Amino acid sequence: MPLVIFVDDSETALASTRMVTDSMPITVKQYLSAVDALNEIKGGMVPDLIITDMNMPVMNGFEFLQGLRQVPGTARTPVLMLTTETRDELKAQGKALGLTGWVVKPFNPAQLKQAISRVLRLA
Amino acid sequence: MQFLNTLNGLLEHVKSVERETIGLTQEAQLRFVRFLDKNKLCADDETLEAMQYQDIIAQQLSATIEAIESAQEHMQYFMHAFSEDDAIAAQSIEKMHGKLANALEKAKDKHSAFSGKVNREDDDDGIEFF
Repeated sequence: MPLVIFVDDSETALASTRMVTDSMPITVKQYLSAVDALNEIKGGMVPDLIITDMNMPVMNGFEFLQGLRQVPGTARTPVLMLTTETRDELKAQGKALGLTGWVVKPFNPAQLKQAISRVLRLA
Repeated sequence: MQFLNTLNGLLEHVKSVERETIGLTQEAQLRFVRFLDKNKLCADDETLEAMQYQDIIAQQLSATIEAIESAQEHMQYFMHAFSEDDAIAAQSIEKMHGKLANALEKAKDKHSAFSGKVNREDDDDGIEFF
């Protein structure tokens, strides 16, 4: 099954995404810190899709994305930003950094499932 | 000067209440999630969407805490100048006014930026692929 990792410093946000993805044919790993996720990726973990929050302490979503692109295994891995941020300039910055898409919280569960399925090309 | 000390104390109190509120909303949410897990219950889509409001509440309150801390920092500069020299104090109060106005604008921007889809009137589904 494809591996999808979620990164969000909010425990409740991770709980919501877990409940949404429970019924999907994917393996999910969750991280409260982008630093921890990036360290595991540098250690050899190769996710098929990464979904990350933007505003996080220590390492924000863009810094995480830049870090991911430096690792050969995730240089081209699809990354979705899942955030409360709606500013167009941030979306443009994300696009320039190689983001796959932008999902605004609170997300519609059915639409998030569709977005994941679309990126992973699940039947 | 006394009024600034009192105002500073009031702001500390507001921050404390906001931090407590963030903690309480998080604990309430996590207990609800544990209840659902324990009883093998699934929330419907509408409930799952509403469950995300806690994250938005926490971010909004955290942003106002940051704004208060910024205002307090500017007030501290003024209080220091006031205690040193009257002429400097007169200049400082003008500067403080400008800094506080700036802190207020930043706080309003963050309120808008961290609201996500909440309070938006468009029917955009909130997902955009690049």
